[in-house]
Amino acid sequence: MSERDWTVYDRADLRRGFATVRGDACDVTVALDGLHCAACAARAEKAIAGGAREVHVDVAARSLRFRYEPAVTQLSGLLAALERSGLEPRLLAAPDDTDHGQRRQRLSLARIGVATICTMQVMMLAWPSYFGVDSGPDLEPLLRWAQLSLSIPGVLWAGWPFLSAAATSLRERALDMNVPTALALLAAFAASALRTVAGDGELYFDTATMFVWFLLIGRHLEGRSRDKAHAHLRLLAARRALTAQRRVGRSVETIAIDALAIGDVAIVAPGEALPADGRLIERAAELDEALLSGESRPVLHAVGDPVLAGSLNLGSTALALQVERLGRDTVLAQIAGLLDNASRDKPRVQRIADRLAGHFVAVVLLLAVLGAGLALGNGADGERAFGIALAVLVASCPCALSLAVPAALAASTSRLARHGVLVANAGALTTLADIDTVLFDKTGTLTRNDMVLRRVFSLDGSELSRATEIAAALERGSLHPIASAFASVATGLDAESVQQTPGAGIEGRIADEQWWLGAPDSAPWPVIVPTNAGQRPDDTLIVLCNARAAVALFILNTRIRDEASAVVQALGERSVQVELLSGDGAEAVAAVAGRLGITRHAARQTPAGKLAHLQSLQQHGRRVLAVGDGLNDAPLLAAADVSAAMANGAALTQSRADLLLLGDSLRLLPLALEVAQTTRRRIRENLGWALGYNLLVLPLAMTGHLAPWLAAAGMSVSSLMVVSNALRTERRLRSGAALPVQALRT
Amino acid sequence: MSSLYLLIPLGVLVVFGSIAAFVSAVFSGQFEELDAQADKLPDDER
Repeated sequence: MSERDWTVYDRADLRRGFATVRGDACDVTVALDGLHCAACAARAEKAIAGGAREVHVDVAARSLRFRYEPAVTQLSGLLAALERSGLEPRLLAAPDDTDHGQRRQRLSLARIGVATICTMQVMMLAWPSYFGVDSGPDLEPLLRWAQLSLSIPGVLWAGWPFLSAAATSLRERALDMNVPTALALLAAFAASALRTVAGDGELYFDTATMFVWFLLIGRHLEGRSRDKAHAHLRLLAARRALTAQRRVGRSVETIAIDALAIGDVAIVAPGEALPADGRLIERAAELDEALLSGESRPVLHAVGDPVLAGSLNLGSTALALQVERLGRDTVLAQIAGLLDNASRDKPRVQRIADRLAGHFVAVVLLLAVLGAGLALGNGADGERAFGIALAVLVASCPCALSLAVPAALAASTSRLARHGVLVANAGALTTLADIDTVLFDKTGTLTRNDMVLRRVFSLDGSELSRATEIAAALERGSLHPIASAFASVATGLDAESVQQTPGAGIEGRIADEQWWLGAPDSAPWPVIVPTNAGQRPDDTLIVLCNARAAVALFILNTRIRDEASAVVQALGERSVQVELLSGDGAEAVAAVAGRLGITRHAARQTPAGKLAHLQSLQQHGRRVLAVGDGLNDAPLLAAADVSAAMANGAALTQSRADLLLLGDSLRLLPLALEVAQTTRRRIRENLGWALGYNLLVLPLAMTGHLAPWLAAAGMSVSSLMVVSNALRTERRLRSGAALPVQALRT
Repeated sequence: MSSLYLLIPLGVLVVFGSIAAFVSAVFSGQFEELDAQADKLPDDER
C-alpha cells in the first residue's frame, strides 16, 4: 500500500471532528488494525515517542490514545510514523462522551478510596467505645471531634451520590432506595455531630461511614461492568470514514469528512469506503453493501443510482459520486444513533424491580417510625428509639433489591461483549432464556460471503491446473467474492493490465496472451455447459476464455459457514427448534438445509410471508429468536421475541436486533442462549435473596435486637452477595467450565 | 498518655494528607487501563 496523505489532519478547522481539545493540547484516539501483540504495542509507542505524550495502548481494543500539541507536533507526522511501522492507523472520530465517562469513573474510584480510608480511621477512633473503655473526660472529646472531622469527607463527600440522588427522587415525587439510605446517613451523621458538640451520647459515625463504603463498592462493581459493555458499542460507532477525496476542477484533494459539502463530487479509490450518501456519476460501479443492506454479494450500480456511505468500492477503478447526505444524516449515522438509544433502554424486569423497591421504601419509612414509636410506648428512652429507627432504615434498605437485576444484566452484557456479542437491548437477555425456536431468515445467514471452487471442466481439452492458475492470477488482488474461490490456488503467473468490468468479468494479459474470465452470458465465446457438470441450482458458473475459444468452466458455490452445522446441532441439543426461511429458490434452500440437517425450511418467502410464519409460530405459544442479516428482515427481527444479527449484516437490521454477533460468525449463538439462562437464574436468586433478607431482618431491627452498625454490615453484605452472585456467572464462564460452545471455537 | 493529645490530631492530618494524595492520583489516571500495563514490553532505552 502506498503511503497515504495524512496532512489533512493538521488543519486546525477540522480538528474538532477527531480530537478532544484541552488547552494547547489535543487528545486523539487511533484504531490500529495492525496491533496484535505486546511487541506491536511497544513499536507503536516508539513510533510516536517524539511528538506524543500520555500514550495509552490498548492491545485488546486495538487502539491507541495519545496527547499532542498541534503548535509543536504535526499529527500527520505521527500517523505516517505509525503507518510506516505497519500498524495500519485509522483516526477515530472524537467520542461525544468519553470525557464525561472518564470523569465519572475517576470520581467513583476516588469516593471509594476516601470512604475506605475514613471508615477505617473512624472505627479506630471509636474502638474505646466498642470495648467500653472509658477514655476519660479529656481524651473523649478529642476522639469525638476526630471522628467528626473524618466523617465529613467520609459521609458527606463520598456519600454525595446517594444524598443527591435522594434529593432528585424526592423532587420527582418517586421513592427509591436512595431515600431511606440518605435519610439514614443524614440522621446518623447529624445526630452524632450534635452529640459531639454536646459532648454526650452514643455516636454513629462508624455506622454512617461504613454504610457509605459498602454502598459505593456495590455501585462501583455494577457501574464498571456496564461501562465495559458500552465501550464496545462506542468503538463500533467510531469506525466511520474521517477523510474524503474531493474533486476540484481537474484535480483531487484529500479533505476531512467534515469539509465535504452537499453537491461536491467525491472520489472513492478501489477498496475504500464511501464517505457520504449520494448518487453515482460518470460510470457504473460494483459495491459491497454488506454493512448496510446485508446483501453479501457485490451490488452493481448504474450511473444515477443512490449509494450509501459505508459501502466499499469493489471495482478496480475509482468511482465518483455526487454527495447528497452528510454526517449525521447518512443512513450509517442514523443506524449508529439507533444502536445507542437501544443501549440506554431500561429492561422491563428492571422497571418492575424499581417499582417494587419504591413500594418497599414507603413501607420501610413507616416501619422505622412505627418501631421507634413502639419502643417509646414501651418505656424506652429517646436514645434507644432513635437507634431502632436507624437500624430499621439501614437494615431494610432495599439496595440489594435494586441491584439484583442491573448487576446480573450488566455482568452478562459485559461478558457477552467480551466474547463478541453486543446486547443492544438488555431486556432481551431475560427473554432469550425462554427461546424455543430459532428462525434463520435467509440462506445468507448460514453461508459465507466468499465462495469455494467446486469443480473445473476443460472446454477445449487444455490442462485444468494451468487454467485454474490463470484464473487465480487474473483474480489476484480483486476484492470480488469470486476471487476468494481462487485465493488458495498457488500460481507463479502474473497478470498484466488487468481490467475489471463490473457485473461482467475481468481480463488481462498473462504470458503474452489475452485472457478473459467471467459469467458465461457475457463471455466473448459461446459456452456450452457439459451435461456431466453435476450443476446444482445454487451454483455460480464462470468461464475462462482466451482469444480463440472458451477454455475452462469453473463451478463455484457459496461456502456454508464453518460453524453453522455445529451451531445448528448445539441448538438441537438444547431442544431448540431450528427453522430456515429464505427468499431463494426451493432447490438452493433445500441444499443448504440438507447440508446442515435443518428439517424445517421454506423457500421463496417474501418478507410478508416470513412475518406471517413468525406470527403463527408465536400464536402457537412459541418464543422465537430471529437471526438475520438483511434489509428485508427488519420487520421480522422487530416482531420476533428476540432478534440477533451478524454485525456485518444490514446496519438497519442491527439497529432493530437485540443482539449483535460480531466477528461474522454464528458460533456465539449457543453461548448467548447459555448466558441468558444463567442470567435469568441469577436474577431470580438475587431477587429471592434480597427480598428474603429484608423480610427476615426487619422484625429483628424493629424489636431492637439489631444495633445500627450491625444493620449496616448486614445490609452491605446482602448487597455484595447480590453483586458477587452476578459476577460469579462471569468468572465461571471465563474459565471455560460449562461452556459447550468452547468446542465451536476455531 | 498525654502524647495522644498531639498524636490524634496529627493522625487526622496525616489521613487528610493521604486522602488528598489518593484523590490526585486517581484524577491523574494512575488507576486506569491496568490491563494495558501488562502488555508493555520492558524498554531498556528508557
